[in-house]
Amino acid sequence: MLKDKIEKVLLKVQRPSRYIGGELGSVVKDKSKVNVRFAFCFPDSYDVGMSHLGMKILYGLKNLREDFWCERVFAPWEDYEQAMRENDIPLYGLESLDPITEFDFIGFTLQYELSYTNVLNMLDLAGLPVYAKDRGEGTPIVVGGGPCVCNPEPLADFFDLFILGEGEEVNLELMDLYAKMKKEGASKSDFLHEAAKIEGIYVPSFYDVSYNPDGTVQSITPNCPEAKPKITKRIIRDMDKVFYPDSFVVPFTEIVHDRAVVEVLRGCIRGCRFCQAGFIYRPFREKSSDTVCRQTKALCEATGYEEVSLSSLSTSDFSEIEKLLGDLSEYTDKENISLSLPSLRVDNFSEELMEKIRRIRKTGLTFAPEAGTQRLRDVINKNVSDEEIMNTCRMAFEGGASSVKLYFMLGLPTETDEDIIGIGELTDRIIDLYRNVNAGKRSPKLSISVSCATFVPKPFTPFEFEPQASIPEITRKQKLLLDSTNRKIVSVSWHNYRISILEAALARGDRRLSAVIYEAWKSGCKFDSWDECYKYENWVAAFEKCGIDPSFYDNRTRSFDELMPWDHLDYMITKEFLIRENKRAHEGLTTPNCRQKCSACGVIQRIGGGCVGQD
Amino acid sequence: MDKINLRAVYAKYGNAKYFSHLDLMRTMQRAIKRSGIPIWYTEGFNPHIYLNFPVALPLGTESYVEPMDFSVVEECDLENLREKLDNAMPPGLNIISVKPQIMKNTDVASAEYDVTLSSDKHSSEEIVEKFREFLSADTIEIHKRSKKKGEVIVDIKPHVVVTDISSENGLVLIHFILPAGNSFNLNVNTVLDAFADKTGISTDVVCIKRTKISAENGEDFV
Repeated sequence: MLKDKIEKVLLKVQRPSRYIGGELGSVVKDKSKVNVRFAFCFPDSYDVGMSHLGMKILYGLKNLREDFWCERVFAPWEDYEQAMRENDIPLYGLESLDPITEFDFIGFTLQYELSYTNVLNMLDLAGLPVYAKDRGEGTPIVVGGGPCVCNPEPLADFFDLFILGEGEEVNLELMDLYAKMKKEGASKSDFLHEAAKIEGIYVPSFYDVSYNPDGTVQSITPNCPEAKPKITKRIIRDMDKVFYPDSFVVPFTEIVHDRAVVEVLRGCIRGCRFCQAGFIYRPFREKSSDTVCRQTKALCEATGYEEVSLSSLSTSDFSEIEKLLGDLSEYTDKENISLSLPSLRVDNFSEELMEKIRRIRKTGLTFAPEAGTQRLRDVINKNVSDEEIMNTCRMAFEGGASSVKLYFMLGLPTETDEDIIGIGELTDRIIDLYRNVNAGKRSPKLSISVSCATFVPKPFTPFEFEPQASIPEITRKQKLLLDSTNRKIVSVSWHNYRISILEAALARGDRRLSAVIYEAWKSGCKFDSWDECYKYENWVAAFEKCGIDPSFYDNRTRSFDELMPWDHLDYMITKEFLIRENKRAHEGLTTPNCRQKCSACGVIQRIGGGCVGQD
Repeated sequence: MDKINLRAVYAKYGNAKYFSHLDLMRTMQRAIKRSGIPIWYTEGFNPHIYLNFPVALPLGTESYVEPMDFSVVEECDLENLREKLDNAMPPGLNIISVKPQIMKNTDVASAEYDVTLSSDKHSSEEIVEKFREFLSADTIEIHKRSKKKGEVIVDIKPHVVVTDISSENGLVLIHFILPAGNSFNLNVNTVLDAFADKTGISTDVVCIKRTKISAENGEDFV
């Protein structure tokens, strides 16, 4: 029994309840009565993975089926990994505590590029070869899903198949097919050939990639009849009818987002040009206010959470937001549940909405202007004006607020020194405003925190053609920002740009990066998104060893007619649209949001009408 | 209506022994919320369920005798209340009883433990013998970190009471009585660490179970 081995080491590691399961809401079944077992792996720690909504949805959905059993698996933290390796404990599912090599599927959700080495490490901890070609008959099918699958090429060598788009339908189709073929005694290869026929399933080994002498991709060619020339992502049509869990696994130990979460809409009408999520999750689809209310109540009652969060890319774009907040706060007030609304945009903060939110929860004032000047905000299509930021700050300051958090990106396309100095100027204006509002009053000291990320160009965005700023450029820009802000009041922080340049290479990389990921992992890289775990030098060495220059992926302007490594994957938006948007960016022209005017991204043709603003 | 103060006795065992005292607070608050009992919320800007745990239970220790204080806002049938709470508990937590609060928090004096140990390197008989020797020393000095004084040396010998020690099927069974009050308390693991320190024998804990919490006068704390 694995359980005995686990319990023997559990009290020697940090926060052991992460490794033993048994939480409220976890689903334990009789394995002799299920046909298909699915190990849902989140390639990061329990605390991070347990906060992920997609996993909660697919876990609930699969476990509703009597003949399927889905379990959770996370990356063990270093202390427990060491204990596992020393005591021959293979990676196991938290529900059964069975090794995941006994499962039919091992599924990874790929939420960010910096989790890729954890995928390899988890396969290795399971006792499996990391390369798909080395995993023989009788080993689990290794599948991947999530946003990074829009360019899974750097991981192509490690996976048997990828699932493109939203998973609620296609996961069940895939598992049903597997159940049927398992009964018939089909081989792994037979299964993959059949699976490739399902809409949204991409089997990377069914495609050959060739390269031009300059290193760019020359062709991506199907090598078997089942492989479609283009694989189209899956979407859910009706958000009111799609499965949503009425219960979550409630962890014992504190996790990053420790609350009930209700998804209110998918997609985004905004079209910010740097934002991958804003394009790959199109079209915009909402639940009705009644559905959201019903799901909120069900979840709160089942979990006992004291906090519920309404989740989406932009919750303030929810058409029925005022009605929803009215209805919901009636319930949450009565039950002493606090309601939080992440990702609110500044430009449609109405006074009534502010009032409701203030009543619901006193949160800090957070804006993401992303760029310091109006010119650059127009380039990236972040339609937030100085005036709106000032108005919102004024309202908040008049209400007694004394801290403001601002998010920016450095290294955006067309950025000049003026744009960076503009960040400092924007904070100066906020400081003046605060002094004016509080003139003659005893007021707390204002604090402004400016948090800067390095721009990472991503596939399926109008900026997929753009170079990332080079390291000397980034460091120069960071210094310039420091010099142009009032450091007595403004605290400036940034993400580690050494991590951002790796993220950029992996995001727009091709299959040749599989070898780099392998080498980096072999040399001890894992948890790359954790500053304290990131080993930059090891990555540099891994690139060198493979004879690959990361700047080929990071710092090169790609022409509009270059074949991208992901061009055989179809996320419903057209290349023509991305090119059009890229040109508009360089002309400094904004594009109206989908509700104001359709910009013909291509999705409406694919779904046959019924998109937002075009009923 | 005034609030009514109650004391539940709960059990924590199985997988639930692997979460900490801090996690227990959250877990209990959520369970109480799910149970739907007329729990009392703190009054103030951020109303929350108020719970008080007169004794802390170390991570890894099982218990069937743990007190938890809470208040309700209406007169309830206590058995009915217990049942509702118990039904809402996650696996590994149970509500054994719900009674009015009689003793004060400060009445807690000592706790008793059943401890089961194993070792790959030493026979259980050897460990029993060494443990007896360890206990018969004149002093058992340990380094204890204190918030005010930094690291201090404390003689725990007068505080460690072992009422039973034996070996059975290769395992060592020890029954401890240790101080558990607010001013001074001693953890089983601290004693085992001291044993390992003095004798060089490190043991694996198979199970630590708290079996009784007593007041100064020797009565059960409830």
